[in-house]
Parts: sequence; C-alpha cells; structure tokens
Amino acid sequence: MATVSKPHAGVRGVNRDRGAVILFLSPFLIGFFIFDALPMFSAVAMSFLDIHALSGLSDWSSISFAGLRNYAKFFGDPLAMSSFGRSFLYSLCYVPSLNIAAIVLALLIIKDFQFKGFVRTLIFTPYVTNIVAVAILWGLLLSPFDGIVNQILARFGVTQAPMWLYGQKTSIPTLAGIAVWKDVAFQMVVYMAAIQNVSADLYEAAEIEGASKTRQFFSITLPVISPTVFAMVVTSIINSFQNYALVRTLTNGGPGDASRVAVLNVYEQAFEYGNFSYASAQAIILFLIILAITVIQWRGQKKWVHY
Amino acid sequence: LTTKKNLTTAFMLVLALAFVLPFLFMISASLKYSAEAFNDPLQLIPDRINWNNYAEIIHHQYYAIWFRNSILVAAVTIVFKVLVVSMGAYAFARLQFRGKELLFLVLMSTMMVTPDTTIVARYFQYSSMGLINTLWVLILPSLFGVYFLFILRQFFLSIPFELSEAAVIDGAGHLTIYSRIVLPLAKPALLTMVLFVFIWSWNDYVNPFVFITPLGKQVLTVGLQSFQSEYFVDTSLQMAGVSLSLLPVLVLFAFVQKQFVEGIALTGIKG
Repeated sequence: MATVSKPHAGVRGVNRDRGAVILFLSPFLIGFFIFDALPMFSAVAMSFLDIHALSGLSDWSSISFAGLRNYAKFFGDPLAMSSFGRSFLYSLCYVPSLNIAAIVLALLIIKDFQFKGFVRTLIFTPYVTNIVAVAILWGLLLSPFDGIVNQILARFGVTQAPMWLYGQKTSIPTLAGIAVWKDVAFQMVVYMAAIQNVSADLYEAAEIEGASKTRQFFSITLPVISPTVFAMVVTSIINSFQNYALVRTLTNGGPGDASRVAVLNVYEQAFEYGNFSYASAQAIILFLIILAITVIQWRGQKKWVHY
Repeated sequence: LTTKKNLTTAFMLVLALAFVLPFLFMISASLKYSAEAFNDPLQLIPDRINWNNYAEIIHHQYYAIWFRNSILVAAVTIVFKVLVVSMGAYAFARLQFRGKELLFLVLMSTMMVTPDTTIVARYFQYSSMGLINTLWVLILPSLFGVYFLFILRQFFLSIPFELSEAAVIDGAGHLTIYSRIVLPLAKPALLTMVLFVFIWSWNDYVNPFVFITPLGKQVLTVGLQSFQSEYFVDTSLQMAGVSLSLLPVLVLFAFVQKQFVEGIALTGIKG
C-alpha cells in the first residue's frame, strides 16, 4: 500500500457522514449478516445438536441436544480420521510443488523474450478453465490403459506405466499435480510482481562481488520476496484443504478410499447419508485445524520472513 | 545477445505449449469421428474434420440452457457485487464512524472460515429462504465478498483525500464523490474485480452441485458433468462440449490478459 493521506478533521460534510454511512454500508452489512455470518453461527449450533435426515428441520421437537457427541464420534471414526490424514498428504504434495513451480516460472517469465503476452495467455489457460472440464480432460488423458499419457509412455518403452488417478498410492499425488498445473499461473504472477520489485542495486553489488546467479537468487531474491512467499504459502495451505470440487470430479475419493480427503467426507456425510450435525462437526474440526496451522505460521514467520 | 533472446523465446514457447497440450488434444478430438478420437492421439490434425459434434451440442436438450444460465448468473453477480462491495469499501475507506477499524477487522477475520465449514448450515438456510433450485442461490450469497471489500478499500484509500475535500467545498455529497471521483479513478481495480468475479462465477462447481438439482435449471459446470455421463462412450462429443464451455472465458481472457496480470500485481490479489 502506498502512502495514505489522512482526511483532515473538521471538513464540512463530515457531519453528513451519518446518513452516508447508513447508505453505503448497510447493503453490504445486511447481506453479509444474512448470507455469511448467520450460517457461521448456525454451523456451530448444528454441530452441538442432533440433526439428521430422519429428524429434519421441520420437526423441531425431534431435534435433540447432542453436546459434544458429534465431536467425540469423529475421534472414533477411522474413515473420517484417515480422510483428514489424506488431506494433509495432499497438502504436503501440493503446497511445496505449487510454490516452487510458481517461483521458477516467475523467474523465467521476467526474462527478455518475444511473444510474452501470448506465452502468458497459454500459461493462464488452465487457471481460467472450469474444474469439470479439467476433470474430463485429465480423466481421459491419464486413463491407465488407453489414455494418451500412457500411450506415449508405451512408445518410449515404459511397460509398467503408473495407474495415475486409479492407483492406490498415486491418486493423491496425481490430484495434487493436476491442481498445481491449474493454479500455478496465478501464483506465478504474484511472485513475478514481487521479484520485479527487488531493487536492481542489490544485484549490481552482487555482480561486482562476483556472486553467481544461483547465489544471487538465494541470498538476495529469496530473502527480499520472503513476505510474498509467506503470504503465498499461508493461502495455498488454506486452499489445499478446500479441494472438494477437484476430488469430487476427478476420483470421487477412489480407488476405494485412496483419495477420500476431509472435505469429501464432510459433503458425503451431509448430502449422501444425511448426518447433518455430524458433517457440521467435522467441518468445524477441519476449520480449527486450518486455523491452528495458520496461527502457528504467523508465530513462526519471525524466523524466516524479512519485512 | 539476440541469440540469447531467441533461445529464451523458443524455450518459453515450448514451455507454454506444454501447459496447453491437453487443450490441443481436446480440440483435436472434438473434431474427429468418435471411433478414431484417440486412435492416434499424436495426430493433432484429423484426416477428416467432423463438425457434427458441435452441431449435436447446439441441438442438445439442455446445453444451451446451461450456457445461458451461466452467462445470466455471471452477469447479474458482476453488476450487483461491484455495486454493493464498492459502496461498502467506500464507507470503510472514506467515511468516519465509530467502531470502523474493529468492524473491518471482524469482517476480515471471517475470510479464515472456508466455505466448506458452513455448507450444511447454508443448505438449510437457503432452503428455508426458498432459494434452492433457483439461480438466485448462486447469485445472492456470493455478493458480499469480504475479499474484494479489502482490495477496493486499499485502492480507495490511495486516492488523494484532497480531491474529495475539494468536491465537498463545492457542495458535493458522498454519492457524487463516490460515483464521479472515486469509482472512475479506481477503474483498474474494478476491472480486475469484474474479471475475477466472472471467472469464479463461470467456473463455480460446488454451489450449483449442492444447491441445484433439476438439470433444466443447472449451469454449465454441473451440466457438463451430466453431459459427460450421458455420452460416456462418445469421447469426441464430450470434448466438443468441454471446448464450448471454455470458449467465453478464454476469449475474454485473451483480450484482457494484460490488464488481468497487471491487476493481480497492482491489487496484490491472492488466490
């Protein structure tokens, strides 16, 4: 943010602010309250009640207080617990590869070359593509037997090609890989802006001292852009737990439960089994985990982020 | 030095090509006859070009409806969201009222609550409001974005206050300052917002999937999924359906990619 000039006190018109505040703010605030704040409160409330498809909401008398039972149930539900574990595995595959790929691409895209706009448009194509299209495309390309990727691998003599989305061990990394391909362009632009803001003087000084390009990257570029790296890592971790659309359209949790991640479990409990309260409790546990991870990162940033 | 530039250009073109290779296979398959769609995937230009897949889609029972619904939702969302959010951002950036900082902080902190957290609660609330199975369920809840409230507030703060003070002295009210001074000066930020809202709306899958059931009322993303299972064996037709669904965003993006990229850098928009 650039310098911000403060409004001078005592300017005529400030007295008229009261009406203006109501006019400008109330549409947003009322809408936010109804569509965003209210569901947050009722999500918490639901998680302490016992609402399922058989009771329903129309029959208030059948809804009972569950206390912490829905939360306790989670810790005795191996399928739910393992789905949370799989979300971590996904995050572990997705976050480092996304950020490293984005930084590498950013370093490349700032170089001097022709057709830059065209190249950028092509790299951005996956980012603007809807997830169902992505799923249909990659589902066909990565089909283990007649998919293009394995056909090409076969031409190069690979006989034991991976099962990709259909493999017990490969489905989560494959999903993460597809997500990186789809999301990387955006991170690339943010990193590009950060790298371009690094003062040229720093590099000149390093040139004079004879530091190699690699050395310059690790001792100048990376420390200077560390606030951006921090922000990108924090947001990409939060995003990595919100992968319902990706998993639902590509594997729906399969093969077996190999790619059943936390959010898939939440949606399934709610909309397939009708265990609404239990689903809400799981969603809130997931939220608390994401919150904890974010807080830990805020605390830890002093060690490596230079402002 | 020019050799180096040429080498970089060649390298970057190959790299960019790798990103869109799946789309090239897609377009190629959509123009082939189904039986030979992936016979020789490396043959990108088919021997006989088959336009029938596209013709068939236009005559599909729902495809045109899904397409129209997606356009409608995106357009209405853009208009109202830009209006509501920019007005809110104006209040936070340019007006004085008690508890402003605290209220803003509270709003910002709700960004931590991911949509999945409230999905069940929202389902019940929307159904009691009668929004389920209407396009409004995709529009109304998405209007009050805290994210763009933050971006626009930052941008509005950077517009010199001297400008609005001069207008106040000339007797202008806040509505005039907002519409004649602040909004025109914030055009780059607003344009970026419009693009993002369009892309997010056009590509939204989870909300229509959960909140809308009848196929005749669906939007393109979920419709496409049913289209895929309907023509499970006809790969070429599927690919034509996918290609068409990408067309509006790709065309738009090709035209505005420069502003889009600058907008991300300018506003510091994140994910």
